[in-house]
Amino acid sequence: MWRLSFMQEGNSELPEKSIVPVFDPAGPYAGSITILSWILITMACGVLLIVLAALWVALFGGERIRKKLGGAKAVWIGGIGFPVVVLTVLLVYGLSLTRNLTEPVPRTAMRVRITGEMWWWRVAYLDGQGRPAMIDANELHIPAGQPVLLELESNDVVHSFWVPRLSGKLDMVPGRRNILPIQADTPGVFAGQCAEYCGGPHALMGFVVIAHEPAEFALLMAGRRTKRPAGSAEGAALFRSTGCAACHRIAGTDANGMAGPDLTYAGSRRSLGAGILPNNRGTMMGWIGDSQSIKPGNRMPPYKMLSAAQLQTLTDYVRAQK
Amino acid sequence: MRSETGFDPALYDRFPTNEERPPEELKQLEAIWCKPRGWQLLTAVNNNYVGFFYVAAAFLFFLLVGVLALVMRVQLTLPLQGVLPQETYNQFFTMHGTVMMFLFAVPMVEAIGVLLLPQMLAARDLPFPRLSAYAFWAYFVGGLCFFASLFFGLAPDGGWFMYPPYTGMAYSPGINADFWLLGIGFIEISAIAGAIEIIVGVLRTRAPGMTLERMPVYAWAMLVFGVMIVIAFPSVILGTLLLELERAFNWPFFDPTRGGDALLWQHLFWFFGHPEVYIIFLPASGLVSMMVATLARTRLVGHALIVLAFLATGFISFGVWAHHMFTTGMPNLSVGFFSAASMAVSVPAGIQVFSWIATLAIGRPRFNAPTLFLLGGLVTFVIGGLTGVMVAMVPFDWQAHDSYFIVAHLHYVLIGGMVFPMFAGFYYWTPMTSSRPLSERLGKWSFWLTFTGMQLTFMPMHLTGLMGMPRRVYTYLPGREWEVTNVVSTLGAFAMGAGVLVFLIDLARNFRFTTDDDAGNVYGGGTLEWLPTGLYSTRSIPVVKSLEPLWDDPELAENVEAGRYFLPGSATGLRETIVTSPLRAEPQYLQIMPGPSVWPFLAAVMTAGFFILMTIHAYYPSFACGIFAIICVLRWLWDTDRPVGQEVVDVGAGIRLPTYVTGPGSHGWWAMVILLVVIGMIFVMGVFSFLYLYGVQPRFWTKPADLGGLALILPAYGAAGGLALWSRHMLAREATQLWTPGVLFLCGALALAVGIGADIWSWNRSGLSPSASGQGASVYALLSLEAALAFIGLLMAGYLSARNSRGMIVRPRNNSLDLCVLFVAYAAGQGALTAILTRVVGG
Amino acid sequence: MRSWLMLLSGFILWTIHFFALYIAASAFPGQPPSYWLTGLITILCLAGVAFAVMRAKRGDGASGMDRWVRTVALCGLGLSGIAIIWQGLPALIV
Repeated sequence: MWRLSFMQEGNSELPEKSIVPVFDPAGPYAGSITILSWILITMACGVLLIVLAALWVALFGGERIRKKLGGAKAVWIGGIGFPVVVLTVLLVYGLSLTRNLTEPVPRTAMRVRITGEMWWWRVAYLDGQGRPAMIDANELHIPAGQPVLLELESNDVVHSFWVPRLSGKLDMVPGRRNILPIQADTPGVFAGQCAEYCGGPHALMGFVVIAHEPAEFALLMAGRRTKRPAGSAEGAALFRSTGCAACHRIAGTDANGMAGPDLTYAGSRRSLGAGILPNNRGTMMGWIGDSQSIKPGNRMPPYKMLSAAQLQTLTDYVRAQK
Repeated sequence: MRSETGFDPALYDRFPTNEERPPEELKQLEAIWCKPRGWQLLTAVNNNYVGFFYVAAAFLFFLLVGVLALVMRVQLTLPLQGVLPQETYNQFFTMHGTVMMFLFAVPMVEAIGVLLLPQMLAARDLPFPRLSAYAFWAYFVGGLCFFASLFFGLAPDGGWFMYPPYTGMAYSPGINADFWLLGIGFIEISAIAGAIEIIVGVLRTRAPGMTLERMPVYAWAMLVFGVMIVIAFPSVILGTLLLELERAFNWPFFDPTRGGDALLWQHLFWFFGHPEVYIIFLPASGLVSMMVATLARTRLVGHALIVLAFLATGFISFGVWAHHMFTTGMPNLSVGFFSAASMAVSVPAGIQVFSWIATLAIGRPRFNAPTLFLLGGLVTFVIGGLTGVMVAMVPFDWQAHDSYFIVAHLHYVLIGGMVFPMFAGFYYWTPMTSSRPLSERLGKWSFWLTFTGMQLTFMPMHLTGLMGMPRRVYTYLPGREWEVTNVVSTLGAFAMGAGVLVFLIDLARNFRFTTDDDAGNVYGGGTLEWLPTGLYSTRSIPVVKSLEPLWDDPELAENVEAGRYFLPGSATGLRETIVTSPLRAEPQYLQIMPGPSVWPFLAAVMTAGFFILMTIHAYYPSFACGIFAIICVLRWLWDTDRPVGQEVVDVGAGIRLPTYVTGPGSHGWWAMVILLVVIGMIFVMGVFSFLYLYGVQPRFWTKPADLGGLALILPAYGAAGGLALWSRHMLAREATQLWTPGVLFLCGALALAVGIGADIWSWNRSGLSPSASGQGASVYALLSLEAALAFIGLLMAGYLSARNSRGMIVRPRNNSLDLCVLFVAYAAGQGALTAILTRVVGG
Repeated sequence: MRSWLMLLSGFILWTIHFFALYIAASAFPGQPPSYWLTGLITILCLAGVAFAVMRAKRGDGASGMDRWVRTVALCGLGLSGIAIIWQGLPALIV
């Protein structure tokens, strides 16, 4: 545990600068819930004050006012009439908001399939036909100012996708596909985390969404689509011989393991270990050498047998994949 | 005045009687209800003892897992702490939730019921004392073993909700999950046994004249509580059964790749899980309603409205289960229904809160320890209720769900709704079972510590949740500013712990258990539990003419103690109580009650052994325990259902009641019908699972049904039901041979076995395998349920034959035979339905 | 039995309504029939509530308990009526 703690140095660029994300929405799907939240909080505080006032009067009030409060009439007004009116208003509002938030998004919207894994996220950008066009992990890039549809699935147990500044959460249930629209109005970085207990290091299953200006986003995607194999030949050989390729894929090479996160763009990611570490040379060396001491229980075995030189070569090779 | 049973209410005017009671009468009563000594405590079945053990055991579990919570709070104080390793933390939070719900909250409210109800209804004891003893011991022994799994690292770690597939064999291969499934499985059985006892107790053993209108609110709460357990618990029993079948035999109920569905578990679990919250809250609310009137020194305002609120909660809480599933992607319309029902269920809560406030307003409350706990509970519960309305709003729930906001909400509801009222109740009712009341001074300290601690712990958690911290995390990263609120929460948790510690000190200094020289009516309550009592409850059973008889008739206590009411002594020389009618509580007959026995204790230990040994894969010892448990149960039943010589006795003032009643009016019949409702609900949830899987994954429904099989199955079930009913009919006939009814019943049970055997054979022949598909799994699950019933039917046949051979099946009517006939007739019906349904749907 | 039936009439109607809606919504998830079935079931159940209210009001006031049962039954019918209307709302709104 201390190791993960130690490695947080320099992590300041990673998380968002928003302290209460639910109150600080970055797009329309979270925004309308923020308005609802404030209305509900006001309602709750108001009702609580009324009840406390009634209780205060009941205990310490004058004789006459207490008489009034002490009848069956008070129970009818306070216990039935009042809640029914408040709840009816809330229910109508809540239901119409539910409808608005789940209204179908135009078919032209970008679609990304995110699959929950124990304890990371598989990300597949889909083409017009709904086929995976580009594979990534633990990080989602979206264009700002337009809705993006996420197809949420799971390969193992139930997970839940939650980026509070962009929308409410939605579960990833094995055997089902849930659709979640998200939208960021302006460019920015938004932290997310798995919200359904999924065993082991569930606490360390983070996620990052990065919204770009549309032009910048198009450029980024175009650059990725034309990516060539990168990194030293020595590193590539080591990647194969130590068995990395059995679990990890790097597009354009013969490394095509699917069990672990895709590493085609690993060097460009902002975070490591599913949103828990900053991605730099030191942390990646630490992760490859012994990820179990950082995120206990994750599926990657430790590679303590690598020499320091080997570890450096391997790290540089993975970091070259951008 | 109308009568329900033909009893003339004018007879009540004979009480209180005037004549002097014979002096030896009281001595005899005391001798019959004598105290157990030493080892005899294990054989005690009287509610004063069992109820007390039960409360103490439940409180012990509260303390144990409270400590777990403190350790967890230390771990979460700051980011990336190493106090608890990940896997231990996951076990801790699973145990905290599971034990708090299954081993503390439900048993505690049930235990308080066992302790208080007979006194409050002025019954000598609950109608099935041995069943209470069994329920307690099974719970206690099993609960301790379950808790001990923590020390071996074998405790479950799938959360108290145990969502598959994580809890399936693929992701939880250890026996940890089995501990949960089997351990909780039989604690549920214990809860159901208690519920049956309480329902029959409230409906049939009230003091004469205690009509529905005059029934104490607490009795109403316990009645609704019992019925809710009977409806809700079967769902989780079936769920655990299915998950265990999937784990042990690979039947794919929750595996989507073979026609199962992970969400099926969530439906089954929450259909139980949400009503569970009200199952815990209602009895506590009943306690509050009783106490608030006494402590404010006035009558409860809106008694009828509170009863209405209980009934409303009892129903509507069954329509809110899916609000735990708002984030699973259900269709909008369904989400809307559940949201609306979640709103509706908060109206009754509002009624209760305002009734309490109104009662305080017209009364003159004193600020003593119970009042403080009561007020603290009220405020806390209101806050929990309001955040409950917030999360019932679907879009808000999408943000708050599974975050610390929910942790805050549920603790506000449960601590405000149940824990504070429980402490208030401890202070209020301790003088009934202790020779000294608890200390006011320590009580106030304890209150202010727990109350402030509670608010400090959980108020900041609302914010922590909105700041994005999910639940069930063993740690969190720095840089999200979650530290401040977490530090405050941890400090608060320790303040709460200190408050509980003060209460323990108070207990140690002042609590002295007693059954006869209790401290008495310290707060001046008006209900019957404050009459002078011994182990036999009240000396004589009063006629009830109002809601607070002690306030309305100042001489009541003296007259009751002098034996001037019903049953001033023992009419038959045995333990007995008056059974009254359900609506107007008119005396119907005298129930002979079983006395102390070691068999319920042994049966309970063996039942616990069966489940625990099964969990650790010690199959042979486990089956040995199972068989021995059955023998013990039969042995305990053997003593019961024995008519006494006097067929009709004088129960006071010349009113004569029968001592042996059979048929639909008998308490045994009622208990059997409730048990059949439980079994029926298990079946209904099984059918729901079957239809649900068919609806979700119909493409796995490939095996055609063998319709021809019905030609054998249905007649067999018909014969089973017919033969069973015929055996009852023949018993009443003068000319019947001694052995006829027993043999007819045996044939009926055999026909049942033939029916289920033929059904299994028929499905097997059509090539359906239980592990192949959702269809196979759910069809065979329904068949397994029926097979279990057939097995019990055969056991019953053996038991009846043995009784018959000893001449214990008396004519013309006999309860043992009646109840077994009811059971087999029901089982035949369920079997026929199973056979038809599985062949019609998706065949 | 009649007393119990009257006492619980509102909640029994609520139960019928709720589970009928649940079945309708599960049988036609997200499709139009689930919406108009919801409306139809709601109207039927509200009619049931109105009928039960009329019956409860007509009952004879023989004893204190009968009057008490009627009072609780009427309040229960009122509460159930509100809950039934609430549950019908989603068909109009979402």
